[in-house]
Amino acid sequence: MRRFLARFANLFRGRGAEREMSREIRSHLALIEEDFERRGLPPEAAQSAARRAYGGVELAKELHREARSFAWIEHLIKDVRYGGRNLLRTPGFTAVAVIALALGIGANTAIFSVVNAVLLRPLAYKDAGRLVTILHYGTGPVATANYIDWRGQSRSFEAMGAADYWAANLTNGDVPEHLLGLKVTQNLLPMLGVRPLMGRLFAPGEDRKGSDHEAILSYPLWQRRFDRDPNVLGKPIVLNGEAYTVVGVMPPGFKFAPFWATHAELWVPDAFGDTIHDRDSNHLRVFARLKRGVTLAQARADMATITGRLEKQYPATNRNIVVRPLKENVVGNIETPLLMLLGAVGFVLLIACANVAHMLLARTSDRQKEMALRVALGASRTRVIAQMLTENLLLAGIGALAGLLLALLGTKALIALSPAYIPRVEMVAIDGRVVFFLLGITVLTAAVFGLMPAMRAAAGNPSDALKEGGRGDSDSKHRNRLRNFLVASEFALAFMLLIGAGLMIRSFFALESVDPGFNPHNVLSMVVSVAGTKEAEPHRRAIFYRELLQKVRSLPGVNSAGAINHLPLAGDTWGLSFSIEGRPKPRPGDEPVAVYRIVMPGYFETMRLPLRRGRTITGQDDARVPDVVIINQRAANQFWPGENPIGKRITFDEDKGSASDWVTIIGVVKNAKQETWAAEPDPEVYLPALQSRNFLGEDKGPIAAHMMYITLVVRAYGKASDVASAVKQMVWSFDRNLPISDVLTMDRVVSDATAEPRFEMLLLSMFAAVALLLAAVGIYGVMSYSVSRRTREIGIRISLGASRAEVLRMVVRQGMIQALAGTAAGVAGALLLSQLMAKMLYGVRPTDPVTFGAVATVLGLAALLAACVPARKATRIEPMIALRNE
Amino acid sequence: MSSKATDRIVVLQGTLDLIILRTLQTMGAQHAYAIATRLQQISGDLLHLNQGTLYPALVRLEQQGRIKGTWATTESNREAKFYSITRAGEKALVEETLRWRRMSGLVDKLLSEGA
Repeated sequence: MRRFLARFANLFRGRGAEREMSREIRSHLALIEEDFERRGLPPEAAQSAARRAYGGVELAKELHREARSFAWIEHLIKDVRYGGRNLLRTPGFTAVAVIALALGIGANTAIFSVVNAVLLRPLAYKDAGRLVTILHYGTGPVATANYIDWRGQSRSFEAMGAADYWAANLTNGDVPEHLLGLKVTQNLLPMLGVRPLMGRLFAPGEDRKGSDHEAILSYPLWQRRFDRDPNVLGKPIVLNGEAYTVVGVMPPGFKFAPFWATHAELWVPDAFGDTIHDRDSNHLRVFARLKRGVTLAQARADMATITGRLEKQYPATNRNIVVRPLKENVVGNIETPLLMLLGAVGFVLLIACANVAHMLLARTSDRQKEMALRVALGASRTRVIAQMLTENLLLAGIGALAGLLLALLGTKALIALSPAYIPRVEMVAIDGRVVFFLLGITVLTAAVFGLMPAMRAAAGNPSDALKEGGRGDSDSKHRNRLRNFLVASEFALAFMLLIGAGLMIRSFFALESVDPGFNPHNVLSMVVSVAGTKEAEPHRRAIFYRELLQKVRSLPGVNSAGAINHLPLAGDTWGLSFSIEGRPKPRPGDEPVAVYRIVMPGYFETMRLPLRRGRTITGQDDARVPDVVIINQRAANQFWPGENPIGKRITFDEDKGSASDWVTIIGVVKNAKQETWAAEPDPEVYLPALQSRNFLGEDKGPIAAHMMYITLVVRAYGKASDVASAVKQMVWSFDRNLPISDVLTMDRVVSDATAEPRFEMLLLSMFAAVALLLAAVGIYGVMSYSVSRRTREIGIRISLGASRAEVLRMVVRQGMIQALAGTAAGVAGALLLSQLMAKMLYGVRPTDPVTFGAVATVLGLAALLAACVPARKATRIEPMIALRNE
Repeated sequence: MSSKATDRIVVLQGTLDLIILRTLQTMGAQHAYAIATRLQQISGDLLHLNQGTLYPALVRLEQQGRIKGTWATTESNREAKFYSITRAGEKALVEETLRWRRMSGLVDKLLSEGA
């Protein structure tokens, strides 16, 4: 204790101690010199002789300093040097161990940095934990009048605001641009607690009709379109042909909304207008901030009371309203896959640890004598363990450094590879928490793979170890058991990982073979927006759409062309309820619902979406003839089972923009994928664009505002992308101000739809491959070690008449027993763990026998191969040489 | 090669403390040079140590409170730091001597048995 204090004091008295030391050394030298002079040396010779006798002055100073500082630092430095030398002495072992650890630690760090950015970091709003969404089924939009009632009646929230999609054509400058914006209530942005970079947020009263023409820009938009003009505030900009005043610019990195309309680049006030009494058309996303001290459960109870009351008042409304933390909506879908990947890399690390551990165990038995000698010479057991742990930590540290490098490259690759669906992936970085994680797993890793061998080495009576005389054949049973256990657990872990990867691969191929209903090859799509251009005018829009398609069809290389409001898989999906002629009116809320799309002639032909019954939509189906509709097979089966739906009539409850209320079914088409790739298509209806007054701009209803654009689909004879520029030029030949966006091939749209499972499958397969490799290396290492230890025994067996085949069988059997035991444990583990993946699988059960069989075969073959190499070596043992060697 | 040299120093450092304490006990207060000279004399020059390597042991012992250093002048009127053994040092010397006898006995025994 006293020494500790003295040293502690020395930490602060550094310079005083240094002076004292120099003084002492000086005096020491002087004393030697004096001595030499007394013996008759001339002064100069005495001086140099003194220096020689003293030894290196600098070395002495160094030793002095070391002794002054803390003992553990002294020990640590010594141990690190010693450990480093030991590692260098066995470069093969060190390299294999470092690679295994680097793979494990690197993969963990990379995945953790993604988990950290996506799941752990709070959303970039003030006190984001109190932000919630109030939506249909947790994610679906709600109607304006309901929102207004909730806002007025709820008591759990500090504020409640709403946002609505708003696509806007910005026609300032040279190139017109189709921008994604949001209409927001005045209180929404202030609720988030983010201050604008410049200017202000919307002021109370600015979301009233007449004073709602202000805009707040995102930083990227300000940068891109306004060259970061510091005087942009107060300037007018033209959106959809109307003048807006810029009142603010948000800081870089600001995003809203975070889970839907994530690419919104500008915000304008929402005056609601006519929708204020509307309880049926759901288009608002509602956000709220919980009052301080109010729990989520309390808010949910509060909302349940309100919606229950409103449902009685207005039947069929206010159902299935879910209050949910905002963050859950942002990361909800990605949480399971990410945690699964984190678990997978955790397994990889465990396997790497087990690998290094049994390599260390093997080394430990070779170093048993060295340890025993050290203990005999007075080193305490703790010091010996500490020394070995230092060596292990050094190993893990080198592994971690290599792993960090791997993680840096890995995260870059991850971000580049990751599909757009991962929210917040742009925030992935190696930050403090990731470094802390890295340090944590490094130390943990060293402890896991190093502690057992170290304690094993330090245990036991030193004199026993010395007496044994270092003959290697009496490897203790206990250690053998430990090593076998390690190999078996490697196999169990690898088995579980391989099952995970196998299921993902099977599921992915099942997904790949799903028929989208249409033929996506050679089809190009692009969105053309008419908002704010002269084509938006009612009498011109129909003509423009017709002529544009005609002209595009005549382009060289173009096979056919059509158009739709929302492209399947890439565009929005609207649902609309309807009634069937001649059937009793269902109770409110129980009406048939269908996905609702508006198409121009040529759409089905271009997409090669086959007609099952009846006729397709043609150019003659316009405002002058009775309204018609095409339904999909699913709608036919569900609403007219066993009947022919052709000629039946339906009416849409909300689409009051039709000329007549009743529309006649003229055809049935094959089911096509709608919003998500894996989901079975819902009932769907296709209305002719030329009969939709909303779509043609002849009606100014609330839906009309969302119908200011059209998605062209063009089938080319050759590559779809080859006709892109010709089609764009054709659009602009009508009006240079028409913004074109989302130019995509249908192949790309389809591959984006399966991007998430593909990404997860690729990563998981990669990790499983690493795991398989490590496990094989593990069994190979243990078997070759065991063979080398048993050389004499095998030699005796051979000399006693054992055949080579018998020796081969014996060694291989020994290896396979461990592999089999591990596999058995792995099957049990995989059966449990794969249940967690059930939600991520498509077309394959978590207990898929094919996957289990295939994985067991692959692992068995790997084990056999890894055991055969050392076994063959064993058969080549020459008994005479083996025995003489001892 | 290098590891053997390290081992020798490790062994020496454990015993060096003991030797210094013993020297100071029998000879009274001494400066570092005198201690070094004495060690060389006793070991019959078998133990040829760089005098600078004494310092870690001296510093360690002083921090442990087993010896105490004071600046004074030598007979030839030069200044030097004189170390003397403390009461704690006397006690430690007894314990360490016992420990050393046990240990060397054990090693002796082991070595003769192994042969």
